[in-house]
Amino acid sequence: MRTMFRWTRMRPALALLALAVCLLVLAACGSSNNSSTATGGGGGTTAAPAKPAVAASKCGLGNGQKASGTPIKLGGIATKQPGTDFTDIPNAAKAYFDCVNDNGGINGHPVQYSFETEQTDPGQAAAAAKKLVETEKVVGIVGNTSIIECTVNHKYYEAKGYYVIGSGIAPECYGTSNFAPVNMGPRYSVDGAAQYLIRQKVKKIALDQSNVPGTGYIAAGAQAISKDAGVDFVNLKDNVPIQDANSVALKAVQAAGPDGGVLLNFTPPEALKILQAAQRQGLQDRVKWACSTPCNTDFLAEALGSAWDGKLGVNAELNLTSADGPDSQLYRDVMKKYAPKVPLGSFSQMGFVEAAVATKALMGIKGDITPETANAAFKDVKDFKTDILCKPWYYGDGPTHVPNNTDRTTTPQGGKMVEKEGCFPISDVDPGIKQVRQWEQQNGVS
Amino acid sequence: MPTWEEFKPFIVTGLALGGVYALSGVGTVVLYRATGVLNLAFGAVGAMGAFIAWSLIDKGTVPDGVAFLLCILFGGVVTLVYGLLFGPPLAGRDPLVKATASLGLALILLGAMSWIWSDKARSLNLPTSTHTFEVGGVLVNWTQVIAFALGVAVTIGTGAFLRYTKLGTAMRAMASDREITATLGVPVRRVEAVAWLFSGLLSGASGLLLANLIGLDAATLTFLFISSLAATLIARLQSIVVTLIAAIVVGLVNALITPIFSISQYRDMAPFVLATIALLWMSRKREISFTRGAG
Amino acid sequence: MAGVSTAPARARGGLRIGAGDGVRVAVIVALFVFCFVGLPPLLSAYWIDVSTSVAIYSVVALGLNLLMGRVGMVSLGQIAVLALGAWIGARFLFGTGLPFPVVLLIDGLLTMVLGTLIGLPALRLTGLYLALITLMLAGAISVVLAATNFPNGGGGFKGYTDTLQGSANVRRPDIATSDPAYFRYTLVCMALMFALALWHVRAKPGRAWAAIRQSEPAALAAGVNMTLYKLWAFALASFMTGVAGALLAAQVNHLYTFQFRAIDSILLLAVVLMGGIYSLWGAIVAGAFMKLLPALLDNWGLPADLLTILFGVGILQVLLTAPGGVAQQFPRDMARLGGAIARLFKRGEPAREAAK
Repeated sequence: MRTMFRWTRMRPALALLALAVCLLVLAACGSSNNSSTATGGGGGTTAAPAKPAVAASKCGLGNGQKASGTPIKLGGIATKQPGTDFTDIPNAAKAYFDCVNDNGGINGHPVQYSFETEQTDPGQAAAAAKKLVETEKVVGIVGNTSIIECTVNHKYYEAKGYYVIGSGIAPECYGTSNFAPVNMGPRYSVDGAAQYLIRQKVKKIALDQSNVPGTGYIAAGAQAISKDAGVDFVNLKDNVPIQDANSVALKAVQAAGPDGGVLLNFTPPEALKILQAAQRQGLQDRVKWACSTPCNTDFLAEALGSAWDGKLGVNAELNLTSADGPDSQLYRDVMKKYAPKVPLGSFSQMGFVEAAVATKALMGIKGDITPETANAAFKDVKDFKTDILCKPWYYGDGPTHVPNNTDRTTTPQGGKMVEKEGCFPISDVDPGIKQVRQWEQQNGVS
Repeated sequence: MPTWEEFKPFIVTGLALGGVYALSGVGTVVLYRATGVLNLAFGAVGAMGAFIAWSLIDKGTVPDGVAFLLCILFGGVVTLVYGLLFGPPLAGRDPLVKATASLGLALILLGAMSWIWSDKARSLNLPTSTHTFEVGGVLVNWTQVIAFALGVAVTIGTGAFLRYTKLGTAMRAMASDREITATLGVPVRRVEAVAWLFSGLLSGASGLLLANLIGLDAATLTFLFISSLAATLIARLQSIVVTLIAAIVVGLVNALITPIFSISQYRDMAPFVLATIALLWMSRKREISFTRGAG
Repeated sequence: MAGVSTAPARARGGLRIGAGDGVRVAVIVALFVFCFVGLPPLLSAYWIDVSTSVAIYSVVALGLNLLMGRVGMVSLGQIAVLALGAWIGARFLFGTGLPFPVVLLIDGLLTMVLGTLIGLPALRLTGLYLALITLMLAGAISVVLAATNFPNGGGGFKGYTDTLQGSANVRRPDIATSDPAYFRYTLVCMALMFALALWHVRAKPGRAWAAIRQSEPAALAAGVNMTLYKLWAFALASFMTGVAGALLAAQVNHLYTFQFRAIDSILLLAVVLMGGIYSLWGAIVAGAFMKLLPALLDNWGLPADLLTILFGVGILQVLLTAPGGVAQQFPRDMARLGGAIARLFKRGEPAREAAK
């Protein structure tokens, strides 16, 4: 009896040991992706272009020397939970900072960048911000990408005088003076996709979104633009994760009607489900299809396959990862060297650009780098040119910030995303854009 | 209110969804009928197998067919090992305890999946998905047919097996009372092992099919499994045939609500509401309880 | 070993106060005073927030602890009930100007009524069925919440405005708006909930529950009104979870459906089992497992998935070998350790069977 008791007692421990061994084996197999392949059945190709390489721009000082002074602390917050993982963005920012550190740092000082993850727990997000500012005492906050963080923390940043450079998701990110996003956000990206569909001469637009708070806010812009163009508009929602993509795709197509357009606003895995279900049911030719910027990733293009070539218009807040241009080349080099596991796509591009902006701002500071001087420098960023964005980026002292309000349309072709429409401004029928354009005009920003 | 023309295609997608629920539900009930254990890790095992298959195919280590086979085998092996390790010590306990223990396995697998394969857009392509035929204006692919057919085949096959074969009778006896069955000279451990292995293989197969039909991410497959439990509840975990029928009905209701925009958002509630109504209806006269095995 | 009850409730019976009780009460009071007075100044803002979460989830765990440990009922939907409580709390805090304690009470009572309504027909089902149907209800509630969303200061019944930019914060009690003050407030509420639980356990309901858990037919034969006492347990658990929901709403200021996932109910079950269902202390351990461990892991840069795996192993471990969980095992292990140390120091003498 005693022996049996001991054996039984050890059973879970043994099971755990066995599991640990299996997990280690699996982790070795599973964790390394060969770059952009996401389908079972497809061969993997890297996204390196076959075009003649443009000379890449430099990280920071670009002098190849390792920085070794007192570190400059920067921090960020990103959502990471099953179903939503934005850590690619701060990880890309970190890659850029690593490159800067290998190239002389910020006037000799290395950047010490770390980021907190949160699981859409508002208490956790608030605590993370306090940790960064009060415990870690970061001089600036860069790379924030979170479903809830702007909502929860914007008042705190306003009170503490921190001007955050990040990627906006919640409406509050576009409604506060202390957050300037590098991306356009769901509302304005949906606007851009709607404009694409209208150019495709659809009679009706069916917008389908994941059912999270803020869908009304996101739809409002597209609805106004559609109405202005004389196109009918219907606003649909679906709970994620989607179990029955067949019905969802069918519903959207039916709602759009003949000569209609379906506009999807989902994260890539969910959008993939809907698009694949649509294809399996032969629906990709029934209506015109468009997607907001999360779809702009080679992962998706490869997973979709040739049935979708040229048929899906994706609003792209940032340039193609395969674009020519010194910054794009640097982006590819930096990601390959410092963050090979992070896939190329809009997320990592955003992180890259955010870090580049912060670095340039900090390098321009004469004297000590403190929270005051750093944030003042961030706020003063003006005319930051990069081939990754359509227009030069800026921060400024406006009440809200949407510096990225011009963008492209891309489409999958041969397993990659290619450009379909060049840079076009987001319509100022959307009141948010109108307000921003007015500020730009008054303050002499192009 | 949508027209009949607009409803028609949703009948097809509803049947497809019902087939998916049925596969999960029947697999779970089959093990319950044979061992008295409600394996709540059924969905997680299948999902993990699918992820492993995806990883192998992604690397190109083995041909696709072998990867699919390994997925099914993985399901069988993990479930068998779990059954051998944790079946006997828990054998005498309440079915609730046995089911809760399987939740432990589910958590372990879910945690492992989330850790190893973080959330990205992945898809598992089965060769049968590319071949389609038309039914009532809707394209149906062969993977959906296979899933449906497998559900039906398992229902009929296992029902017959449990009723008419010696091994099947031994399993039913064991599920009812393990100790007495053991005294009758039935090799309980061996019989149990067969039941666990078969259920595990089935979970691997359904994991593969579901990953292709629904999507390859752990959260969706978990939620799907919980929805499929509704069908098993309606069958009171006893009748495999009722599970099959209930699963199809639940799938149909879920899909048919989709085009009705006013309540479309609530369509995912369909499994839960139906299960609750069915159970409360059946319990209105008497208290439903579990003896130590299948009632 | 003072301060921890290692015996099931029925052995403790009645409201007799003995010498052991006195020491126990003193330890509890001392711990409480320490947490109330000493903890806030020691902790940074991050850890105060974590501690508040621990306190709130201890109350939720307490509800499940009572259900499982005292009555033997398993609910896989407690987090959904918490979401319900949070919804009600937020709606009242936004929509009315009632003082905070009144809102807490209303929230608890409403959640209790709803929980009882949901529980009433389901109570005729036993064991596995009840667990599965609570899982179904949790799924249903999560879908409804995704559709209706949490109140964010808007109008109408739902109190939710789709297009609101810059949504309002759920308000906190006037006397406790800062984080450390709110932590103290939560601590007091938590103590009150535990006192409520203790009172139930020691009085008649506790004895009835013990009888039901021991053997339902025997309890029936003894004349225990099973439906009433089962319902009472469900009502109590729902009340506590409702109060916890209101506290949660005010702690986080904004509520999202992602905070209440289906898997969280299963994780709650795991931690309640691991904490120990036969002692009320187990609920506090459970709360710590649920909210403190993830914060620690995050601090050490480890993935939160490790915890999911750990809790899965924990369920298996508890069900197989240590049904009393940490609350029962820890004092035994400590006693065994103490005995081992004592033996080390008394090498010449025969080993004393100090530990059980």
